[in-house]
Amino acid sequence: MKKLTKALLAGTALTALTTGAQAADELNALVWCDHTDPALIQPFEAAHDVKVNLREYEGTGAALALLEQSRPGDWDVLVIDGIDVFRAVEAGILAPLPEEALPEDDFFPQVVLKANNAPDGTAYAVTEKFGYNTISYNADKVDEADMQDLSTVWSDKYAGKISIYDYYMPVMGLAAMADGIATADITADSLESIGKTLSTMRSHAISVADVVSAQTALATGEADIVVGGGEWLTAVLQAEQPELTWTIPDQGAVVWTQSIGVLAGSEKPDLAVEFVKYITSPEGQARLATSSCFWGMPANKLAADHLTPEQKEILRWDNQEDYLAKAQLYPAPDMDLDIEMQDLWLETLSQ
Amino acid sequence: MKALPWIFLAAMGVFIYLPVGALVLFSFQGGTLPVPPFNGPSFQWYADILGDRDLMAALGHSMLVGLGSSAVATLLGFTAAYGLARHHLPGTTLMRAMLIAPLCVSYLIIGLGLLIMVQRLGLGLGLSLGTAGIGHVVINLPLCFSIIYASMGAQQLSAERAARDLGATEAKVVLLITVPMLLPAIAAAFFLSFTLSWDEFIISFLLTRFDVTLPVEIWSMLRSGLSPRLNAIGSLVFLVSVVVVLAMETLLFGKRK
Amino acid sequence: MSLSRDTLRGWGFTAPALIWTLAFFVVPFLVMAAMSLATLEGRTLVWGLHADNYRELLEKRYLWRAVVVSLQITLTVTAVSVALAYPLAWIIAFRVPKRWQRLALLLAILPFWTSYVVRSYAWLTVLSKEGVVNQVLLSLHLIAEPITLANTRFATVTGFVHFFTMLLTLTIFANLIQLPPNYRRAAMDLGASAFQTFRHVVLPLTLPGIVTGAFLTFVLCIGDYITPQILGGNTELTVPQVIMVQLGRRADFPLAAALAIVLMGLVTLAYLACARWLRLDRI
Repeated sequence: MKKLTKALLAGTALTALTTGAQAADELNALVWCDHTDPALIQPFEAAHDVKVNLREYEGTGAALALLEQSRPGDWDVLVIDGIDVFRAVEAGILAPLPEEALPEDDFFPQVVLKANNAPDGTAYAVTEKFGYNTISYNADKVDEADMQDLSTVWSDKYAGKISIYDYYMPVMGLAAMADGIATADITADSLESIGKTLSTMRSHAISVADVVSAQTALATGEADIVVGGGEWLTAVLQAEQPELTWTIPDQGAVVWTQSIGVLAGSEKPDLAVEFVKYITSPEGQARLATSSCFWGMPANKLAADHLTPEQKEILRWDNQEDYLAKAQLYPAPDMDLDIEMQDLWLETLSQ
Repeated sequence: MKALPWIFLAAMGVFIYLPVGALVLFSFQGGTLPVPPFNGPSFQWYADILGDRDLMAALGHSMLVGLGSSAVATLLGFTAAYGLARHHLPGTTLMRAMLIAPLCVSYLIIGLGLLIMVQRLGLGLGLSLGTAGIGHVVINLPLCFSIIYASMGAQQLSAERAARDLGATEAKVVLLITVPMLLPAIAAAFFLSFTLSWDEFIISFLLTRFDVTLPVEIWSMLRSGLSPRLNAIGSLVFLVSVVVVLAMETLLFGKRK
Repeated sequence: MSLSRDTLRGWGFTAPALIWTLAFFVVPFLVMAAMSLATLEGRTLVWGLHADNYRELLEKRYLWRAVVVSLQITLTVTAVSVALAYPLAWIIAFRVPKRWQRLALLLAILPFWTSYVVRSYAWLTVLSKEGVVNQVLLSLHLIAEPITLANTRFATVTGFVHFFTMLLTLTIFANLIQLPPNYRRAAMDLGASAFQTFRHVVLPLTLPGIVTGAFLTFVLCIGDYITPQILGGNTELTVPQVIMVQLGRRADFPLAAALAIVLMGLVTLAYLACARWLRLDRI
């Protein structure tokens, strides 16, 4: 029966792996992929002698489900879509942030977004990075003047040349703006008109693409335009193909923001706050802005001191005031509307 | 007409090697995009991935999960095959059917089932490499069982009986007679399990947390952008697998001739 | 008494594998089945016997459309893969000289071991507008300008066929090689044409190998997420893609579970259709 004993032993060893205890100096963060860049994380780990465990996630729904099913104390830090902070607050999973972790006086005022980050007056999160979901294109293949008007972007002229970024929220926001509906005013009644616009977009598109397929499509000439793209999509391609660029059309574009907060129930709240302070500090902000996964504008203006002129050029630092004036925030639907929007999106894709 | 088979063979060769060829070629790309024109050769991407902490950690995790889960799957497969082939048990057909059943189910279903169970029932399991390993044992156990069960023939039976007649205990018989005689099948089961676990994505994707396996790490690299790094890591993984396969081929089948 | 001791020992050997399968395969499956009958109220999970998820499946076009797309792709892939693998295995088994046989087989299935995520990605770069295929077609003047191959169903099917042709070549070859050569010779001697020999002797004898391989292809193909996700361009979604959307974006576990049960139903249908010839314990 030695075999059996061995089998049981191996089984136990395998099970032991699954319940491995955590060391005292670890911080568990549920994040977007830009936080996994060692250039961003390692300085913090070195300064505080701590190991930061990072887990990426895709959608807020999945993150909330994961957090609700975890034991209190499993997670310390959460990076979340700016518009979804209130959902996390409603679910009671975020802890209030102390005033000193919020250097918001140094921020671009348009992205402080107190209404999002402090839904009931208490700050639960802080904006860390922003950018635009707009139009990325190949300047050699399209008439740049056309890119200034959303309705010509997905007109017959560019049929078969468009790829749509595979995230319903910003693309539906763009569709709404093209229809003259402000993203903040989207209701169930707007969906018919948005659906029609999406349908037109879809019928002229060759693909609905995630980040890598959208980049592949642009880089290889598969598509000349990516609806919903932006600096986060083309920044990494620009070095080799400067003709790949982006613009904000006259109707505007959608601003994405991401926020960071500390989880209620964290067993290391002080360390977690330190992490938030690091991320919102000028150095942390500069590293986050130029993270290997995707680039985006830092919320903190002081990051400028830690960025090279070339980096600021790619981020289009000097255009931000103008861009922010034109852009609108992500749509912020309630849960029912959100599900309706997702259904409409999936419905349109499979037409 | 005579040439037709060879033309077909050549065409299939091109089809089969087209993506692999492109993959390896553009891993030596000089620029940052893995598409023609080729301007190389350059080894920068290999240097890049070998210096990537997360990627190398994932490689180690894949090794660990692969070896661990294959060992368990082979062991359980062997004991089950031995039990069913050498003992008269009521309900043998049913038990065989149950052991083979996971083979008929998509990996996604197995992964999703485990994910829901772990989240809802807990059972002291969390999301981790070990849980992914448990899933890999589930998918590989049927293969290990079938391979070993199929090779349990009459020739070992007489040797086993002779040993038992001479007074050997069952444990001794198994360890000294059955295992050595079945070693090629056991090794084949182990290697096959390893290669399948090594390359498995969806179960690992659903069941791991901070430490992930190589395919999951490659997937998240893929999601963050197009780069010859992916070609480089893909070529490297291919090289490792080919070495394992060739080793298996020479060790196990080379001798039989 | 000796029989019952024998039985007891047999149980001892078999039990660990059975318990493992029970605990980590059967139980999770049952939990998932129960989950498919639960429902979400807001974000709170309510257990019970609700048919909501299955009703939604019938009502929402993108959900049942995914089932149709998955079936179409899987059946095409299975048919094309068998059609390519059979002659390939045949040539390797009967035309390639004996001493080169193992090498030829090994070469034919070696790319099977490229990383599965990377393989789809490699096809994406090969099929893109500036990829190798378009470049070759252009230089041969077979096409005037690059054609769209990537991000289509064609690309998904190509990626799948590539993988499964290798798998099927292996299973069919194993089957062909076990065929006693005398059978074919005897049929020929009795005056059967090459086609008749194939139709009435070889094909029936190799059918189990083909069906087993085809069934595995069906199971692995219909449950695959990566290949359509990378190659298909997302303009039509398969069941696994829809499941992952439910998990990743909405955390709608009940609906995801219901879709998985539907997937399971399709696999069961395929199993029943193939059951007569399946030899799953003889792979």
